[in-house]
Amino acid sequence: MAKLSKEAAAVTTNKRPLTTSLYFYRGFYIMFIPVLVFAILFHYLPMYGIRYAFTTYKGVKDPVFIGMGNFTKMLGMPAFWSAFGNTIYLSVVKLLLNTFAAVALSLLLNELRSLKFKKFAQTLVYLPHFMSWVVTASVFTLILSPTSAGLVNSILVKLGIVQAGNEIYFLADQKWWVPMYFMINVWKDTGWATIIFMATLSGISPELYEAAGIDGANRWQAMRYITLPALANTIITVLILNLAKIMNLFESVFVMQNDAVMKQSDVLQTYIYTQTFNSGALPDYGYTTAVGLASSIVGCILVLVCNKASYKVRGRGIM
Amino acid sequence: MKHNRLFAAALATLMAASVVLGGCGGSSSSSSSSGDTGSGNAASSDTGAASGGGEAAASDDGIEKPETITIMVDGTVTTQENNQQAFIDKFKELTGIQLIINQPDHDAYYDNVGQTFASGPDNWPDVIILSSTYYAGYAGEGALWDMTDAYENSELKGRINESGQSVIDGLRIDGHLYGFPSGRGNGCVTYVKKKWLDNVGMEAPTNYDEYIKMLDAFTTGDPDGNGVDGDTYGVSAAGIIAAETPYINYLPEFYQDAFPSFVKGDDGVWYDGFTEQSFKDALTRLREAYAAGYIDKETLTNGTNDCRNKFYEDKFGVFTYWAGTWDSNLKNNLEANGLDGELVPLKPLAEVADVGGYIERTPPVWAITEACENPEGVFKYFIETMHDGGEIQTLWSYGVEDVHWSRKAEEVCGNTYAEGEFHFAESLEKPGTQYTKQHMDSMLALVPIVDDIGANGHAPEAVESQEIFNNNCRQAQLVPSTDEMAQYNGDLTTLKNSIVADVVVQGVSIDEAYQRFETEHGAEWSKMIVDSLNAQ
Repeated sequence: MAKLSKEAAAVTTNKRPLTTSLYFYRGFYIMFIPVLVFAILFHYLPMYGIRYAFTTYKGVKDPVFIGMGNFTKMLGMPAFWSAFGNTIYLSVVKLLLNTFAAVALSLLLNELRSLKFKKFAQTLVYLPHFMSWVVTASVFTLILSPTSAGLVNSILVKLGIVQAGNEIYFLADQKWWVPMYFMINVWKDTGWATIIFMATLSGISPELYEAAGIDGANRWQAMRYITLPALANTIITVLILNLAKIMNLFESVFVMQNDAVMKQSDVLQTYIYTQTFNSGALPDYGYTTAVGLASSIVGCILVLVCNKASYKVRGRGIM
Repeated sequence: MKHNRLFAAALATLMAASVVLGGCGGSSSSSSSSGDTGSGNAASSDTGAASGGGEAAASDDGIEKPETITIMVDGTVTTQENNQQAFIDKFKELTGIQLIINQPDHDAYYDNVGQTFASGPDNWPDVIILSSTYYAGYAGEGALWDMTDAYENSELKGRINESGQSVIDGLRIDGHLYGFPSGRGNGCVTYVKKKWLDNVGMEAPTNYDEYIKMLDAFTTGDPDGNGVDGDTYGVSAAGIIAAETPYINYLPEFYQDAFPSFVKGDDGVWYDGFTEQSFKDALTRLREAYAAGYIDKETLTNGTNDCRNKFYEDKFGVFTYWAGTWDSNLKNNLEANGLDGELVPLKPLAEVADVGGYIERTPPVWAITEACENPEGVFKYFIETMHDGGEIQTLWSYGVEDVHWSRKAEEVCGNTYAEGEFHFAESLEKPGTQYTKQHMDSMLALVPIVDDIGANGHAPEAVESQEIFNNNCRQAQLVPSTDEMAQYNGDLTTLKNSIVADVVVQGVSIDEAYQRFETEHGAEWSKMIVDSLNAQ
């Protein structure tokens, strides 16, 4: 046995010349070439644009190197900090709400006994995911309209909660915009997010439930002591993976923001958009690249933090 | 282990080399991107031709006629789907010049323009269509040819009437002309539903007091005659401030002499209209009208399409929208909904007329780039001929006979035409509808067409609203691009729009709003931009 282990160790530590190794694994390397070319062309080469972050550049004359000037300006702009804070707040709360709403919905769906109705319900909650954000915003603009045509306001008027003529302009009211944003996000994405939890739930051994039943556990106790612990690892994984993407918030905000709620809704990506297309002059691509780079750096840090958290929680990283 | 390190090192070197080489080949990388752009809708594969020059014989004034001209255009020029090739062939027949058209997708046009300029002069077209903001920006960057002398010494100058001259003067940057419009910029005129006026027993308003009384009647009365009071409102707009310059064109009655951005005074000094008392007064008028329910509650979240639909659904009665053809469109859509389509295009209210009337947007221009080898030739044989008042202008206005228009006896889209009667053909891109023009709108022409084939083809209401606008408008000012503008105006505009929304929709006081303007650096940025404009 000891002899065998030594031989195995010798094999694994065998120092082949690089060329021999390349030849030995040539099949793998050939298969890897398209991926490598794709990565270089579409991921690494565009990174060369990062240099503009250290220049002032309007797209015609050569960029002028200004060192950290764009970053200094960025850090001194209140709108940047407002957008940064909004990005973190809206993304994190949205992530938590969507995840926990998806867990709750999965548990409810899991309790359905009729397979047909379960499939119907699943299909129904998945559907909003396939609506584009533009369509979603249009639909909710109608539903939340501050006129008699708005469904929500009509109900509120009928119930006597608000007076006719004083309807709430949900999407242009600084108090209401953020809750509405979260609500619409939950409506749109919760169903889709249940897929991964439903898959985990279907993997739980029925024997555990049978055993719990024999021991006298009711459905609530079975859920609490079997289902939720089984889901815990998946919940953490989903949270961690999505946390890495929180700086990318754009479309859902862009289609719902308006002048009245800019303070609440401006996020980094919409800030970059405004700087590029709303300046009334040729945009300074140097500055917008600097903001984009800062956003990417924060995103990278979050990924590293998530990786660390994943090691701690699950014993393995996400990359 | 050493093996792995070697392999990792090789990979890292490969990555680094790719980045460095990519850097060295930056221009080629960009140009390939522009190549994609260029190929987007190019009408000819001969994109590499050294154009804007050519070896054709020189005219008496020594200016050579170019053999080919490359142009970059948006969707306002005849598209490939609408038989662009027929247009190109006819243009060559009339001028002897081969046009090479690069026409990216209309909605992504300025993304493509930015990429094209960034890819370097080798990839620039000879001529390019630019909106006012980009025109001022690229002129400021030195990318556009100064056509001042060419225009001043041209026959074209003598053909342009006084109002057209003011349009062209409005395009001068520090006295220099870098682009030439295909027509007037046009703008918005206020339409009132005649039926609604009749139902409330009122005449078209002539001043602000009468206007407000009319809005009140439209909001609290029963102007649509459905037997219910107060289920309608006066006016709607797509935003309290429009997204693009001239910003105030959708609610001119409330803004009157106010302007939210930079203005050059009669004394030649730039100032920020947002900081003036006139703008605070306008905000007060808007807030009061909004609170009274005269203005659509959803104005902030409306798009222009939302407004049009509400107008067609008879929800409101006053709509400030484009003059000319749109008058007919509004009328036809109202009638299609079974409503009375008669609209009264208002002359500017007295308060608006006092400051020059409706505001005419700065028109998009045809600009010759610095990369053009024969800019004098392109100006003379391309831009000048576009305004020849004859065959070439007719081609740009109506397209090609029996392709885009016809005089044959036939039925088109349900309309019957007699032999010899001018009419547009059915659109190839949008079957079931007829073309309304090609690139140029003859009602906005700077030089009238002699023997205008389509003179009788315009609906009377369109002509009326266009005449009211043309006779009662002032030019929007072109604001030059400065470094400070590029740096701060994005944030400043966001802040201003947010403050306007605060005052009008949220009911914040004017003092409180302008306090916010101070504390959130708006006043500081505004001053920096004003100083930079005055320092030019």
